[in-house]
Amino acid sequence: MRSVDVARTALGNTFRSKLRTALTVVAIVIGAFTLTLTSGLGAGVNKYVDNVVAGFGDSSQLFVLNAGAGDAEPTEGPAEYDPEAATGSGGMFGPGTGGGLLTESDVETIEGIDHVSGVDPVVMVSPDYLETADGGQYDLDLDSPANAVGLELAAGEAPGDDGMDLSIPEEWLTIYDTEDPEAVIGETVQIGISDVTGEQTSVEAEVVGVTEEALSGIGATPMPSRELNQELSDLSMQGYEGQAEQAYSMAVVDVDDLAANEDSVKNALTDEGLLGMTVEDQIGAVQGVIDAVSWVLSGFGLIALLAASFGIVNTLLMSVQERTREIGLMKALGMSSGKVFGLFSMEAVVIGILGSVIGVVLGLGAGLIGNAWLTGESGPLGGVAGLTLFAVDPLSILGITALIIGIAFLAGTLPAARAAKKDPIEALRYE
Amino acid sequence: MSIPVLETENLVKVYGKGATRFDALKGLTFEIHEGESVAIVGKSGSGKSTLMHLLALLDEPTAGVVALEGEPVNKLKPKKISQLRNDTFGFVFQQFFLNPNQSVLENITLPLKIAGMGKSERNRRGMEVLEQLDMADKAKNKATNLSGGQKQRACIARALVNKPTVLFADEPTGNLDTATSEIVEDILFGLHRDYGITLVVVTHDEDLAAKCQRRLMMQDGEIVTEEHGVKEVQA
Ligand SMILES: Nc1ncnc2c1ncn2[C@@H]1O[C@H](COP(=O)(O)OP(=O)(O)OP(=O)(O)O)[C@@H](O)[C@H]1O
Ligand SMILES: [Mg+2]
Repeated sequence: MRSVDVARTALGNTFRSKLRTALTVVAIVIGAFTLTLTSGLGAGVNKYVDNVVAGFGDSSQLFVLNAGAGDAEPTEGPAEYDPEAATGSGGMFGPGTGGGLLTESDVETIEGIDHVSGVDPVVMVSPDYLETADGGQYDLDLDSPANAVGLELAAGEAPGDDGMDLSIPEEWLTIYDTEDPEAVIGETVQIGISDVTGEQTSVEAEVVGVTEEALSGIGATPMPSRELNQELSDLSMQGYEGQAEQAYSMAVVDVDDLAANEDSVKNALTDEGLLGMTVEDQIGAVQGVIDAVSWVLSGFGLIALLAASFGIVNTLLMSVQERTREIGLMKALGMSSGKVFGLFSMEAVVIGILGSVIGVVLGLGAGLIGNAWLTGESGPLGGVAGLTLFAVDPLSILGITALIIGIAFLAGTLPAARAAKKDPIEALRYE
Repeated sequence: MSIPVLETENLVKVYGKGATRFDALKGLTFEIHEGESVAIVGKSGSGKSTLMHLLALLDEPTAGVVALEGEPVNKLKPKKISQLRNDTFGFVFQQFFLNPNQSVLENITLPLKIAGMGKSERNRRGMEVLEQLDMADKAKNKATNLSGGQKQRACIARALVNKPTVLFADEPTGNLDTATSEIVEDILFGLHRDYGITLVVVTHDEDLAAKCQRRLMMQDGEIVTEEHGVKEVQA
């Protein structure tokens, strides 16, 4: 029997009992659909995250937080007060990433660690409002200047160390009734802040950049320069009687040859109850979560495929049983056992191809449409710059198709071997 | 004398073991020559089909030898035996075994498809045989829609399509009424006469057996008598 005839006959037999084939195929379609969607999701988001990481450049900085509060065991009832572990909030390194505040002595400790060439403690400030030149006032939350490396700029530049500068997010362009980010560069604004006694003062700053929102959330709020940040902090401490212990939300630490000394510095920090993270660590955490989610979903896809493979075994076993006579006849007329095996495994493969092609096409369609809808101009995630939730990776699509056809073939071997073993005489006597 | 197409030596077939042991064939030795028509006759259960299956290389004997054109087949590989069956033999089975979902043409060209022949050549040969049997107009019909006699003719067409040297027919008229039986008999003996096909017919039908040149009478797994010459059918 020629290979084309084996393929054609297998195809014909597959469509003989259409309902049974369709039901078997549906199970495979579900698996293929899920796998395509999750692998596309993983590929899309990882592509985006890689772009973001690349945007940071190679940094020699380590971001250090107080690990204490993050490690606290959840307790029943109120937690006991620990004066060492003061807590702070706000920004990318706020309570979500689990850290208390750093004290002056912590900063000194960090300075004493080997390979550390500089420590830049970051102060968190909470100003009251931002006032534009024409008098409009807006509620204001400021991001930490330490996040400046992660900014995606639509225009201008990131606020630096010196100068009373700040950047504003793209959404804030509406304040100036414009869509052109370049138009707002150079505008001056007043930032109002209350001191300890509740008295409001304000300070003037210049808009030097317009930012897009990144997946990490950086760029979604205005960001001051370090000088502006310090100025605001000093203003907020005015009127405080007695010796104020300066507290920092985090510290940016410069490390000599970060690639080589990363582990030793991190270990030294851990011994002191501090937590050091590189840019990759932070983005990596995001990536890790996405990877974990897509692996879990892929796991469900694989389970669906496993169930589907039993469907194939079942369908083909029934088919072999029903076609006992036909098999006997073919063998009596000189078809070799090998070809009979080939014919039935081919039927399994046909079912696998059908299921995987339909599933992959549906998965790609759903992924691409979903991506276009979610990240499009007016979509719920439209504001995140350069976000892709779904990417077509031809290699993984081929991989998925091959995997499913492979599984289908394996599932087909048991029934096919059954068919190949049939004795023509017994098959012909079979009533 | 020429080498016989088929010969057997001390052919034994035993089914089962121990208490259920059944000796279906008890040491048969005979020859079938090219162009002969041979009937294997006997009561039900006497071992006719068993013998035919052994001769047609569909089954292996418990002991003894089957030789095809002077060559013992028990040493051949299964694949080679399959191929020999496909090339050399045509089968008409005790039941029709037509695939109800396929057309008559597809059904009867199955041996050619198995042999690996291309589709257009298959169909050409298939139509040729169908015309020979007056069935050309039914070629595209589904096999289920045929009458009993037409089904049997389709089976004969399938047996002939690969131009076999030996045609085996197990009760070819067993399922048919007398009139249709006669048509089928005429076709079989016409082929034998016109194309020199060796005919091995298993039957318990006296009339059919009488038309063969030789009759092997079987009883309890043994050939008890052997008759030669075409017998006149007594009215
Ligand atoms: N697989 C088997 N296992 C056990 N016994 C078998 C088997 N096949 C056939 N037999 C027995 O062998 C004997 C011969 O069977 P066979 O089919 O050759 O008879 P037959 O002469 O063709 O009969 P009929 O005219 O009814 O077709 C019978 O008694 C049958 O029961
Ligand atoms: Mg029989």
